[in-house]
Amino acid sequence: MSTIDDTGVVAGVARLRNATTLPTMALSLLTVLMGWLVLFQQVGETNEYLGLPIVELFAISVLVQGLAIGGLGVASYVGALQSTSDRTAGLFTGAFVGSLWAVVTAVLVTVVAGLRMVYWPGSSVWIFSGIPVPLGILLSLLGGVVGFLAVVLPREDLGATLPVSALLVPLGMFALVGPLTVPWTYEPGWTTVVFPGSEVLPFAFFVTSLLGCWTLAKISEGFGATGRQRGAYYLIGVSVAATLGVLGMLVYFIVDKGFATLSTGASFDGWGGRLVLPVVDWAVPWFDANLPFVFNQPGGLFVDVPGVWPAILGTIWLVIGALVVAVPLGIGAAIFLTEYVERGRITQLVEVVTNGLWSTPSIVFGLFGMAFLMPRLSNGGRSMIVAQLVLGFMLLPLVLITSREAIISVPDEYRDASAALGVSRWKTVRSVVLPAAMPGVITGVILGVGRIAGETAPLLLVFGGQPYPSTKSPVSGGKGILESFSFSLQPPFITNSALTERGTALPFQLYTSITAGSSPKPEVFSLSEFGWGTALVLLLVVMGFFAIGVASRLYFRRKLNYE
Amino acid sequence: MSEANTTQTEDASQRTTDDAGGAIGGSAGRTTTGESEERIEDHWRNYEFAGEPKLSVEDLDVYYGEEQALQSVSMEIPEESVTALIGPSGCGKSTYLRCLNRMNDRIKSARVDGSVQLEGEELYQDGVDLVELRRRIGMVFQSPNPFPKSIRDNVSYGPRKHGDISTGLLPKLLGRDDTEQREELVERCLRQAALWEEVQDRLDDNALGLSGGQQQRLCIARCLAVDPDVILMDEPASALDPIATAKIEDLIEELAEEYTVVVVTHNMQQAARISDQTAVFLTGGELVEYGETDQVFEDPESQRVEDYISGKFG
Repeated sequence: MSTIDDTGVVAGVARLRNATTLPTMALSLLTVLMGWLVLFQQVGETNEYLGLPIVELFAISVLVQGLAIGGLGVASYVGALQSTSDRTAGLFTGAFVGSLWAVVTAVLVTVVAGLRMVYWPGSSVWIFSGIPVPLGILLSLLGGVVGFLAVVLPREDLGATLPVSALLVPLGMFALVGPLTVPWTYEPGWTTVVFPGSEVLPFAFFVTSLLGCWTLAKISEGFGATGRQRGAYYLIGVSVAATLGVLGMLVYFIVDKGFATLSTGASFDGWGGRLVLPVVDWAVPWFDANLPFVFNQPGGLFVDVPGVWPAILGTIWLVIGALVVAVPLGIGAAIFLTEYVERGRITQLVEVVTNGLWSTPSIVFGLFGMAFLMPRLSNGGRSMIVAQLVLGFMLLPLVLITSREAIISVPDEYRDASAALGVSRWKTVRSVVLPAAMPGVITGVILGVGRIAGETAPLLLVFGGQPYPSTKSPVSGGKGILESFSFSLQPPFITNSALTERGTALPFQLYTSITAGSSPKPEVFSLSEFGWGTALVLLLVVMGFFAIGVASRLYFRRKLNYE
Repeated sequence: MSEANTTQTEDASQRTTDDAGGAIGGSAGRTTTGESEERIEDHWRNYEFAGEPKLSVEDLDVYYGEEQALQSVSMEIPEESVTALIGPSGCGKSTYLRCLNRMNDRIKSARVDGSVQLEGEELYQDGVDLVELRRRIGMVFQSPNPFPKSIRDNVSYGPRKHGDISTGLLPKLLGRDDTEQREELVERCLRQAALWEEVQDRLDDNALGLSGGQQQRLCIARCLAVDPDVILMDEPASALDPIATAKIEDLIEELAEEYTVVVVTHNMQQAARISDQTAVFLTGGELVEYGETDQVFEDPESQRVEDYISGKFG
């Protein structure tokens, strides 16, 4: 093998293979990316680049890919291209390409022959033991089977290429010379749904180019095991990129829509302001900056730019309260279940129950809080403390599950070593097991905080107050939560009037402003401007919690691992 | 080249003949697994030594569920010496070792009958303080298992958890800071474990960054820090390379000047090198022979022990 590779002829052939596949792969990746962007309307479908409409560029790209794939496949089959082809392209490729063939056949028979894909009186059917099967479905399945067999039966270099080429080349041609153009619409006839060409075409180019990239990656390594390895690598790589792409698009969308609101009236004049520290009342030098949308309250006579400060505080307080409830309970229960109880029926039962609780819809927790906690804790009214408890109960199962996993995965050697030194079980847990489990525990808490910070449904039932409070406090009484503690000699000894009042939080405020249908000051922000601004701030607050969580996880991991 | 080959072949054939002879000679009471009808004589296991025994074990039976892992083992272990426990896999030597500091209590299915006495004090009775017991009888495990903490924290772990040394913010505020004692303790134990020279500049580094041999010596230092009388070692060098093994062996011999060391090993040369007396366990959880190491290795009383030591099974 190695001696053959060293001869000039074969090296020349390998160079030819790479010279063809690599630029074509770059072309298909670019098409995947651009198709994605057009599909989500980040790039206009009638834009022109290099003097050509983007759809025609797509068509050329797909045509080139299809011709390259078919040509290289045949070249490999006749021996003009060095390859290590398997006897078949494999079931997975067959199923993938076959299902695309089925879809294409379905589109063709519905457009060309006007067949139906669902049963309807009078439509062409084939009676199969008394059951009418629509002819459209039948032909589509047939197309799929033919495609599957065309992939699976021949040798890999033909099976993996020609059926793909047969999809790509016609698509490219019809898109180039018509009728597959942007004004074209796909109207199946048997349903009232109409698919516009501006959506169908980018999607088709996206999928076919993905297929093209995958196939080209296989060709570039000469098929066989190495070829499939390369193909899988590209397929997974593109999936990862697509996942990140969705995330990035979501964030970009919200930032794009919300940033103008967030920065309304914002100013930054450098160092020179002062900040009055709470509690001690000292003024320290601070930035002379202004961010009214964040630091103002939404309502009130003297507010020129309505803001979301009370809702931010409300979300922070809710998360803090939920953490105070859930983290000690969850970790404590996890320690008990792993270190003190034998694994058996009871732990299994608890496991099932906690998993069930974690997947319980949040509105059910809200109902529980409304029916059980509200009458007991806040005289039947909605309140901060009930909302904190309800969110805490929601967080509890996740903290329990992840902490348990983390504690179980701490090696038993640590426990043995500690026991052999005569250290009691609890001290072992506290000083060896828990520190080792801490990164896992924190991961669970981060996930849970992300969920509860954006939770809306239970808040509607147990928390929500007026949508646009005119004070800076999250609760409707206008008092700060820390300042509202008062002590007395009668039970319950500590009371906090602020905690028993209804309030506002970011997701709740978003919901109420949409349902209320008006923004607090329509002359400054329209409803949607205010809403997007709130969404952006919510995103930033949740990311802030994430940042704290990730930093603490890093801290604990660094403590555990040597560097 | 061809000459050397011939010699090797001759050697091999010589050995084959030997094996055959041995098999014929020992066929009276032995199968290949080492089980036999050979009766174990009591005097094979009675080891006479001067002075009081540190540990004395009488009629120790251990069951894991239905299975009996140790059969009526009795032996007395002299102080300030190295006792080696050898035998094939599954012969119960590790089980026996774990009985001596009651680590078997941690295995739920294990049941222990019989008596173990430390300086005449019964260990298997109600009201024994396991914390105190394990402080006096320390243990080093087969694979090095330092905590994922700094080297300093590893060594001082036992005393800190027992409250003998208190460091940190609160003790500092209360004016009872033992940082100095801790530093002395860490240095003393690391010196005893022959590790001080290698780690003195990086006591704050994570112990998991040490090599396997260093980790095992750190585990020994950690064990020494609680000031035990007896140190039990369960194949302490089996996961280490020859150089690290040699260091551990030297260390064991030094420790025997102050401590009573009981060491389980798979390696018979190691047992012969480091131990003062050797106990041989054979399949079925029986103690077959116990005596002075030289005597056990050079002139064993039991045919099975001789076969085992000469490498015919196990």
